[in-house]
Amino acid sequence: MKNPRQQTYYEKLEVPHDASPLEIRRAYKKLFELYQDESLASYSFFSEEDRKEILSDIEEAYLTLINTESRMSYDDGLIALGRLPEEKSYRDAAKEPVPIYHLQKKTMGVASSGRRKEELQTLASRTPAVREILSRDALTGADLEKLRAALEVPLEEIAESTNIRIDILRAMEGGDPATLPPAVYLKGFVKSYARCLALDEHAVAEKYMKGTGKNE
Amino acid sequence: MAPSSSQIWPIGGGKGGTGKSFFTGSLGILLAKLGRRTLLIDLDLGAANLHTIIGVSHPEKSLSDFIRKKAASLEETIVPTSIPNLSLISGAMNALDIANLAHEQKAKILRNITKLPYDCILLDLGAGTSFNTIDFFLLSDSGIFLTAPEPTSIENIYRLIRSVYFRKIRQVLKTHAFQSLAEEAQQQNEKATVSNPDLLLAMMKELDPEKGAFLEKTLAAFSFKLAVNQFRKQDNPNLGELVCRIVQKHLALKIDFIGNVAFDDRVHNAVCKTTPFLTLYPYTQTALDLRECCSRLLSEEAASSAAQRIAE
Repeated sequence: MKNPRQQTYYEKLEVPHDASPLEIRRAYKKLFELYQDESLASYSFFSEEDRKEILSDIEEAYLTLINTESRMSYDDGLIALGRLPEEKSYRDAAKEPVPIYHLQKKTMGVASSGRRKEELQTLASRTPAVREILSRDALTGADLEKLRAALEVPLEEIAESTNIRIDILRAMEGGDPATLPPAVYLKGFVKSYARCLALDEHAVAEKYMKGTGKNE
Repeated sequence: MAPSSSQIWPIGGGKGGTGKSFFTGSLGILLAKLGRRTLLIDLDLGAANLHTIIGVSHPEKSLSDFIRKKAASLEETIVPTSIPNLSLISGAMNALDIANLAHEQKAKILRNITKLPYDCILLDLGAGTSFNTIDFFLLSDSGIFLTAPEPTSIENIYRLIRSVYFRKIRQVLKTHAFQSLAEEAQQQNEKATVSNPDLLLAMMKELDPEKGAFLEKTLAAFSFKLAVNQFRKQDNPNLGELVCRIVQKHLALKIDFIGNVAFDDRVHNAVCKTTPFLTLYPYTQTALDLRECCSRLLSEEAASSAAQRIAE
């Protein structure tokens, strides 16, 4: 064992030169537990004087290394003495918070919604089938599907932007009626659906509820 | 000391009542069951009761026969036990003055123990730090310290470890004419006494690198073990590791923790029935812990002997 006076703070805390503040704190806590007054493991091993000296030594080492500034200047001192290779010294690399994960949600190539909306509206006004369907009093699931086909919007895109499950959307277009949600929700869903197609959501929803006989 | 063919494990613990005899007896039974010819020697002179723990209530012969020259050799005092592969040299039961062993008698016992033809020899030592205990402990480099997780026991274990350490240094100093060197070291730095071994070693190495290195090598040959007995569930399971860490760091001695042995009220029942605990209660936590200690001891031994062979 080296004479405690010749030990560096790193050796005193038994941590590597590039230890992170977290490691230093942990090492200090462990040593403190070992040498503190109530520690059973070191009971009677040291005189009160020695124990205090060891504890103050550890504390000094800890307080120097836990502070980035004082640690850098201490490291510089060690480097000057040739006791610490420069490349091994600790440099605080993580100044910015590191993102735990990136929210890179995959989009299906939907262009910015504003432009998309205009495109859809011009397309709707130019297509006679769309105008014909929209002029009706009541709409069915099959009509919704025709509208969507005419405007060339895939069902997946609607599911993605509205967060409505795709099997529910299919049911709304005339698929399995068992999957249809209760009327309260259904109206909202149709509104969202219509919004995606840049149609008048209130009108479409009203007509749809009428056409499917869900309107009370 | 002449090299012995058998593995000798002295078992010591500063404080009485930590379970040295219980641990020695149990370890002996486990080793014997593994097929090793094992001998237990009760060296707790004057307060011997290892025989009771392993179920030999009235040993016919004992160590005192050898000391009193009733038995021609130490081998004649060996008594068999009910467990195959396990034999015993009982502590002297009849002689009242046996606790105060004269130096020549002690030397004679020490010499003869190393000659006994066994695979494993376990020495059950008495409490305290008398020279008798320490010299028996120093019969081997791989002594086992036993402690209970209590301040009193920890205190005594440190005292024993220190006594063993300093006795070894003194032995080396005496036999190798180190005395003058040690005095010189002390003159240069008044703190460099045997009670400050690190500094003394450093000073001696400075003054005479060859002799300093020899002392260092002698001390480095130690490979002690530590077991914590009477471990109750509210105790800190890392205590043994921590104690080893302190000793390694501040005395520069090699010491390995080999395990906690759970406290069990039924040990008392087993002792009262003069039947080994492991025979009566083989499927208890305590029995499991003892087996764990035994296997760690054997694996450490295998590792160190392999390392020695490579070094040679």
